[in-house]
Amino acid sequence: MEPLKVIVTGPVGAGKSTLIRTLSETEVVDTDAAATEAIGKATTTVALDHGTLHLDGHLLHLFGTPGQERFDFMWEILSQGALGILLLVRADRPDKLPAARNILDFVRSRAPVPYVVGVTHLDRPKVWRPEEVALFFGTPLEQVVGFDPRDPAEAARPLARLLELIGT
Amino acid sequence: MKEERKKMSKQEQLQNLLGKLRAALPELREIIVASADGLPIAQLGESEIATRLAAMAATAHGLGKRIATTTHLGDLMEIVVRGNQAYFIAYAIGDKGILGLTTPAGSNLGLVRLEAQEYAKRLAELL
Repeated sequence: MEPLKVIVTGPVGAGKSTLIRTLSETEVVDTDAAATEAIGKATTTVALDHGTLHLDGHLLHLFGTPGQERFDFMWEILSQGALGILLLVRADRPDKLPAARNILDFVRSRAPVPYVVGVTHLDRPKVWRPEEVALFFGTPLEQVVGFDPRDPAEAARPLARLLELIGT
Repeated sequence: MKEERKKMSKQEQLQNLLGKLRAALPELREIIVASADGLPIAQLGESEIATRLAAMAATAHGLGKRIATTTHLGDLMEIVVRGNQAYFIAYAIGDKGILGLTTPAGSNLGLVRLEAQEYAKRLAELL
């Protein structure tokens, strides 16, 4: 089985590491360091997360990036050879959408491959619905998936959609 | 001496320590102190690359720690990137940050290691 490399990216706190921990069938490689900025959580990814899973007859290798722009060299390194991009954004932080678009543009300029926008934190008060996020990115609604990365049943949904777009 | 130290801000004390490290190892080019999550705390050298180097030091150190645990190397002691002209070497400052250095090829690495580890300890007390 040819493994498919998928890059999981997006601004800090969107749920990239959480998604990979929820889904991976192999021991997750994570690189958390104590956060010294007020980013709403205690730790942050400084290099990458890596996990694998079987989905719809494919072996996926998930490579999660750091979220902060100062680690953009990792966005570039991890983009190499990616066949799909999963961009995660927080529904309750529309102020971070421009940063998310910046990341998407950066990664797609290196890896012009299909992408899905995963919208997390939809259980918060005052959120942008997936339709609104789709409008922001100018992305067809079928490429935007609202889901909870903590929930094993839901976490694979944006990846299943991504596989359809990759057309394997 | 102690009173003199009290009067100095933390940033001045950091700069002071880095200056002493540079005096002990004059061939050092860049000297940076970064937080474990990649923000620059102090530096001696070219300021344009210090911010970038701080993020990269945190990435290299974070990944190095993971490689060390995955391959049962024990605790990570140093990261060495060897180019044909110079080295980048990074040491953990306890669990508080990272000391990163660049030094030309041909430097006495044993001496660099001894001094850097000593200064990493002193920095850990300060941070």
